[in-house]
Amino acid sequence: MAECIVITSGKGGVGKTTSSANIGAGLALAGKKVTVIDADIGLRNLDVILGLENRIVFDLVNVIEGECRLKQALIRDKRVDGLWLLPAAQTRDKNAVNPDQMRKLIAELKETMDYVIVDCPAGIEQGFKNSIAGADRAIIVTTPEVSAIRDADRIIGMVEAHDLPEPDLIINRYRPGMVSRGDMMNRDDILEILAIPLVGIVPDHEDVIISANRGTPAVYDEESVVGRAYLRIADRVMGIDTPIPNFDVEDGFWNSFKRWMGMNPAREAV
Amino acid sequence: MNQFVKRLEKLLGVGRKPSKDDAKQRLKVLLVHDQVNLTPAQMELMKEELVAVVKKYCEVADEGVVIRLTKADDGISLDSTVPVRRVVAGSAA
Repeated sequence: MAECIVITSGKGGVGKTTSSANIGAGLALAGKKVTVIDADIGLRNLDVILGLENRIVFDLVNVIEGECRLKQALIRDKRVDGLWLLPAAQTRDKNAVNPDQMRKLIAELKETMDYVIVDCPAGIEQGFKNSIAGADRAIIVTTPEVSAIRDADRIIGMVEAHDLPEPDLIINRYRPGMVSRGDMMNRDDILEILAIPLVGIVPDHEDVIISANRGTPAVYDEESVVGRAYLRIADRVMGIDTPIPNFDVEDGFWNSFKRWMGMNPAREAV
Repeated sequence: MNQFVKRLEKLLGVGRKPSKDDAKQRLKVLLVHDQVNLTPAQMELMKEELVAVVKKYCEVADEGVVIRLTKADDGISLDSTVPVRRVVAGSAA
């Protein structure tokens, strides 16, 4: 049975869109049929992260207003079998869509897909309500920072208030060097505070910016630490119990020295 | 030169305490307050009333009083520190 998963966070800039793109592509690489929906109407970005921005003809609002059929608005990613993007409208705002319309749209997609991934906009207003309307479950993205974790906690409460099951957590922008120095909360610190199951940790790495520059999600690069992290997350989303590596490295003088010299031994370690 | 000494101190891990415990402690307080919606003014009032009760029995060092709500395993807990100078002799219940 098909499943709709919303990727959300409350706070902006923590990596929802990057996570949506990579989880979607990761599931497709595993042979699933996936549509990723950009629900950030007015500020679309998932198209750019996926490198599909030049192929947009119709968008989410066109589909909902009946100006085109759903199939006409779906953009197929030619790099993998089974991945489609439903882009957001750029010239409208969040109020162009309501939760009932989203529910109906997602129900239609679930007839032919294995997974529908919804990239939720930041905030807790209309865009959030639209995004979670058709979802069966949620994945919360946070970073190891006070502000992001605070917002994640609020979103967890809101997700549960909408009768969705307990959400899963992605910890993004994890910096093992800072963790081992005691200057960043580690996995256990964050889980103690948020108390929801962990689905993956993504290290802070320049790969994210490089892949965004190119419009090629990191999962398409077998060498990428970030790509491998998202492939493991895709596994866990499918129910495959893949271990989550810690990324934590021993600190010690030599690693400190290398960091001091501008090398980043810790971040490379998986 | 000063810059160099600072970097050297950072390298050797001296002169500064790790910040993650601050982050964690602040979050624990923050999340509870987000949840219970008690205003700082209400918290202050609660603190004064609590201290007033303790003062019926003990002499309290006002400046050291701390109360805060934190997240415990099974809900929210009120942590309080009320330093007592001495117990008032013969205080009646």
